[in-house]
Amino acid sequence: MPAPDDKPAVKPSDIEALIEVFNASDWDEMHIEMDGFELFLSNDPGARLPGPAAPAAPAPAGAPAPVASVPAGPAAPAAAPSGDAGPVPASWVAIDAPNLGTFYRSPKPGAAPYCEVGQVVTEDSELCLIEVMKLFTALRSGVAGTVRRICVPDGAMVEHGQTLFWVEP
Amino acid sequence: MPVKRLFVANRGEIAVRILRSAKALGIETVLGVSAADRDTLGAEMADRTVVLGPAAAAKSYLDERLVVHAAKATGCDALHPGYGFLSEKPALATLCEEEGIAFVGPRAETIARLGDKMSARALAQAAGVPCVPGTDHIATLEAAREAAGRLGYPVVMKASAGGGGRGMFRANGPRDLETGFDRASREAEGAFGDPRLYMERFVEAARHVEVQIVGDGHGTVVHFGARDCSVQRRYQKLIEEAPASAMPDALREAMQQAAVDLCAHAHYRNAGTVEFLFDVARGVFYFIEVNSRIQVEHPVSEEITGHDLIALQLRVAGGEGLGLTQDDIRLSGHAIEVRINAEDPARDFAPAPGRITRWAPPAGEGLRLDTHARQGYLVPPFYDSMIGKLIARGDTREQAIDRLLEAIRAFGLDGPRTTLPLAAHILAHPDFRANTITTRWLEEVGLPAFAPPPA
Repeated sequence: MPAPDDKPAVKPSDIEALIEVFNASDWDEMHIEMDGFELFLSNDPGARLPGPAAPAAPAPAGAPAPVASVPAGPAAPAAAPSGDAGPVPASWVAIDAPNLGTFYRSPKPGAAPYCEVGQVVTEDSELCLIEVMKLFTALRSGVAGTVRRICVPDGAMVEHGQTLFWVEP
Repeated sequence: MPVKRLFVANRGEIAVRILRSAKALGIETVLGVSAADRDTLGAEMADRTVVLGPAAAAKSYLDERLVVHAAKATGCDALHPGYGFLSEKPALATLCEEEGIAFVGPRAETIARLGDKMSARALAQAAGVPCVPGTDHIATLEAAREAAGRLGYPVVMKASAGGGGRGMFRANGPRDLETGFDRASREAEGAFGDPRLYMERFVEAARHVEVQIVGDGHGTVVHFGARDCSVQRRYQKLIEEAPASAMPDALREAMQQAAVDLCAHAHYRNAGTVEFLFDVARGVFYFIEVNSRIQVEHPVSEEITGHDLIALQLRVAGGEGLGLTQDDIRLSGHAIEVRINAEDPARDFAPAPGRITRWAPPAGEGLRLDTHARQGYLVPPFYDSMIGKLIARGDTREQAIDRLLEAIRAFGLDGPRTTLPLAAHILAHPDFRANTITTRWLEEVGLPAFAPPPA
């Protein structure tokens, strides 16, 4: 995914904010264009940007305008691990599984998870447990920042090197 | 219950070999790999591959908890440990049993009993199998001197928990015992956590011979003939062949029967190898040890019997029994295997990892290649240096030698340096052709006469 040559004027947090605005609204569609950036949101999964591919103002060469088509129905997939799919900013840090094992978000069944999306963590914060044959090992963040994504559902098997969390330093 | 989904807890050529038999039997496969083996031939062949841990074997292939967790989490009902790594760790067999996973190997207590050399020796004696004249545990230097006087020098001291030559030394007289005893005991303690030593008479001219068996775990054991693995460097086998044709037929048959008796006595389950020392001068054989796993050199036994030993292992592990009797196993022809190690013969066989830039193995009648290597494969520096085994079968030993020699010379391989030129040198040597070599031949005669090819 080639990055624009210029520093993007729109930050990932801006996109998240826009999606939240759209979700909270009763609009069917939202279409924003600015500085070579284009965002199209619709409640219809089949919806596409109107008209041919070429927009009124041509995008800078080598930097195709990113288009996000986010079906935002009222029943958002709440059960899935938190954080949406999509491109991850280069500044975010992946927290990977050190070995194969079972991923647990809470210290024990029924307890509150170690962390949630949006939570601020320190380097020493424990993010989850990895279990190998009933031996539970807490995984520390290793980086201070904000948890942006939780990539694996509770209780799933994870492999060595698999990304479990994205943290924005 | 027959195995439905098999976890393969190994790498390299043996992982590929196991996957091939499992697939032919319609068994689903899951391969557990380290991060370094993610993009290997085995990973492509398996129905599913999971990454256990980083490249370091201690954090991947050697962690039995990790391996069993992975087998459970992927829904496997059986686990094949291959050879090396965890294959002879009783802890792995125990864990599998506790978790309801069929271990493709012996019961944990059998592995433990056979793994300790003194208890294996006691088992052999109980089964009426001859052992090298020797002793039980020797605790002091004085006891060692006395025992050596009785057995007659030279003698060899060995670690009870040992293997690979550690804690082992040869004594030609009392002085050697004095200088070696304490050091060997400390070495054994350091290597195996067990300082106990015992003593055996040293056999000057010996051949390493071994019997391939498979047991059903209920006292029924069949054998697949004998192999000769006398071409060794520092206790590492380089060339193996079957049958062990340097032994007189009657003696070889007696040895095969001894191996069956020993394993039947132990109610042995799984494929296994009973190793013997053939004392050429005296014309007798002695029990050395049992390897309770499939071995590197199993293909030569498959080639002279036509049976798939991995398939038999899976059958027995699945509780289906042997499905054959000794009469169903007929030996014919001769097969020889050379190990292809990525090692540099010009640099004292230092491991030579690196990228294989050309891989053009020969094909032809009677040839077999067991390997995970291919063009572009990067031989990683983390594990054993073996990248394959080239096997040739013939109606006679001479034909097998000729075919193998021709195949080695036609083998197109660029990248890492390998032991193939040394293998060709040995196969072409008149002593090997005359079948008169002993376990010390390679180091004393073969290697000094070998000129490594220029870099």
